[in-house]
Amino acid sequence: MIAIDVKRKVLSENDRIASELRAGLRETGTLTLNFIGSPGAGKTAFLERTLQMLPEGMSAAVLTGDIQTDNDAIRLARYGYPVRQIATAGACHLDARMVQKHLRKWNIGEVDLLFIENVGNLVCPTSYDLGEDAKVVVLSVAEGEDKPLKYPGIFRKAELMILNKTDLLPYVPFRPELARDCARRIRPGIEIIETSALTGYGFEQWLIWLSARIQIKRASPARGGNVRSAASQSN
Amino acid sequence: MHEMGIASSILEAVRNELLPYPGYRAAKVSVLIGEFAGVDGESLRFCFEASVMDTPMESVELCIESGTGDELDLRQIELELIEAQGPPGAATTCACSTKREEVCA
Repeated sequence: MIAIDVKRKVLSENDRIASELRAGLRETGTLTLNFIGSPGAGKTAFLERTLQMLPEGMSAAVLTGDIQTDNDAIRLARYGYPVRQIATAGACHLDARMVQKHLRKWNIGEVDLLFIENVGNLVCPTSYDLGEDAKVVVLSVAEGEDKPLKYPGIFRKAELMILNKTDLLPYVPFRPELARDCARRIRPGIEIIETSALTGYGFEQWLIWLSARIQIKRASPARGGNVRSAASQSN
Repeated sequence: MHEMGIASSILEAVRNELLPYPGYRAAKVSVLIGEFAGVDGESLRFCFEASVMDTPMESVELCIESGTGDELDLRQIELELIEAQGPPGAATTCACSTKREEVCA
């Protein structure tokens, strides 16, 4: 009998590719955010509104994951930025290999801001590092306030929680303060922004958050790529 | 159900660890799953058993240890010597799926 002490992560191969991605994205100065939320939390609508409101001259790109269809890519492509759909054909999450494969199709050195919209799921995507700078969890007021307690993994790892669909607050018995408390019980330092992708409420604050993160990324000494407007890129 | 993907990753790692040990097969693999790993141990066991069924890895035992954080770690793999089965030269394969006459002669 031989016992091999392996002592490494089960997903070490995913993590290796994610590290490569992260190194590349650091080199190009591309702020990369991984959006995770339940199906129907409003991730795509949130990104649509974001793309609509991005300051002129900012180059952005979106990778959007779903099990089937390219519906989300079609929606997101209307705003003039490069978008690619990742159809996972059954997998309930994106992994680093899928992201790497799709990023090869772009000149990522020209992109300041990469949004990755994960497959709608609060559990499985949490385990897979995609080389992002931060995970953003999207929760909607049509869900339960205690979701952070029920699904602690993602709320533990996310730097920012978007509390979306606030336009529905007059019609649903959702207490935003309770949701905030639940999220902070899991991660005391989590930042929280309330938004409505429908009305644009909260997006000013979100864009300020985004600008601050972009500035930090741009200040990174490893940055090497040139910035170009998204308008000059093709899908 | 990303437990199926996790099970595949574990099996891939076991196969890689076996490569330097011709004549051995995996007997037991230990993984550590933290409370916040987002992985259900019983689902993983189900997926693991479904993945190894009718394969040379069928007899591998999956041992799951519980952690307190978000660990999802491969801890240890126990290997055992493959015993020669059947008459020499028989057209059978070893558990490592290599022709038995190459490794068990």
